Amino acid sequence: MRYERQILMKEIGEEGQNTLKKSKVTVIGAGGLASPVLTYLACAGVGTITLIDYDTVSESNLNRQFLYHEKDMGMNKAELAGDVLNSLNSQITIHPVSERIDEENIGKIINGADVVIDCVDNVETRLIVNRECIKQDIPLVEGGVYGFYGFVMSIKRDFPCLECIGYGNTKLKRPGPVLGAVVGVIGSLQAVECIKILLGLDDVLYGKMLNYDGLSVSFDLVELQKNDLCEVHGRT
Amino acid sequence: MIEVRLFATFREGRQKITFLEAGQFQTAAQVTDYFHIPHEEVAICLINGRHSKLDASVKDEDVLALFPPVGGG
Repeated sequence: MRYERQILMKEIGEEGQNTLKKSKVTVIGAGGLASPVLTYLACAGVGTITLIDYDTVSESNLNRQFLYHEKDMGMNKAELAGDVLNSLNSQITIHPVSERIDEENIGKIINGADVVIDCVDNVETRLIVNRECIKQDIPLVEGGVYGFYGFVMSIKRDFPCLECIGYGNTKLKRPGPVLGAVVGVIGSLQAVECIKILLGLDDVLYGKMLNYDGLSVSFDLVELQKNDLCEVHGRT
Repeated sequence: MIEVRLFATFREGRQKITFLEAGQFQTAAQVTDYFHIPHEEVAICLINGRHSKLDASVKDEDVLALFPPVGGG
C-alpha cells in the first residue's frame, strides 16, 4: 500500500491520510527549495498541488534543483515540474502555472489554498506572498538559505509575519551562494511544517524562526513578536 | 548582561552567543559596532524577539539577535 509507512504514524493514520488527500497546497517558485518541497508533498499524497514559476531551466540551477536534468535546460520549469510530480504520484492533481508573481495575480493564485509555501529567491516576491497570505488568512511556510545557512518560519494572521520582523530591510546579493544540500535541509523542513499544519498538529513554527547553521551543525530557535506597527497586519 | 545572538555569516570569526555588560552599551548600534559588523549588513535586528532599529536602546537582560540577509532558494 502506497502510504502504509506514514499511515503507521499515530499522528497521521487513515484519517490523516484522507486529510492530506483533500488538501490543497500552493508552492511559489519551482527551484531549489521547491525541489524537496514538491517532491515530498507529492510523495506524501497531498491531493492538490499548485506550483508557480515563470522561469526556464538554466545550467546554474542544476547544483540544487533536482527536479530538472541536463536535458531540460531552456525548458519551462512549471511544466517540467508538473510532469515529474505526475510521474511520482499519478493519484494526485498537479496544477503547473507559468507566471511571474506580482501584486495583481497573487490573490487569485493562492486563493483556496490550505497552505502556501514560499520557495522563491528574492525579497520582493516574499513580501508580496506574505502580505496576501495575511490578507486571505492562509498559513504560509517561509524558508530561505544563504550558503551553509538557512531558516524556516511559519506565518499566519495571528502571528508575526515577515513585515513584523523587518524582513523588508533585507537586501539580498544576487546571485547568492547556495549549497544544494542546505536547500534540501530547509526545503524538507518546509515540507514537514506544511504537513503538520495540514494535519492540525501542534508545535508548528508560528511565532518562531528556526535557523540552521550547516557549518557549526546547529539549529537555533528564535521566538518572534508581532509588531504593533506592522503595515500588513494593520490592513487586516 | 545583554545576550547577543549572531546568525548565519555574522558567526564567522565570532561567537554564536556573547554576553556583554549592559552598562557599556546604550544602543543596538553600539553592540553591532563592538562586533565590527557594518550597520548596512544587518538585515534583521530583534530585541527580545521584537523588530527594532539599530538606534533602539538596549538594557540589562535584553536578548539582541542580529541577522544578515538570508533568502535564497
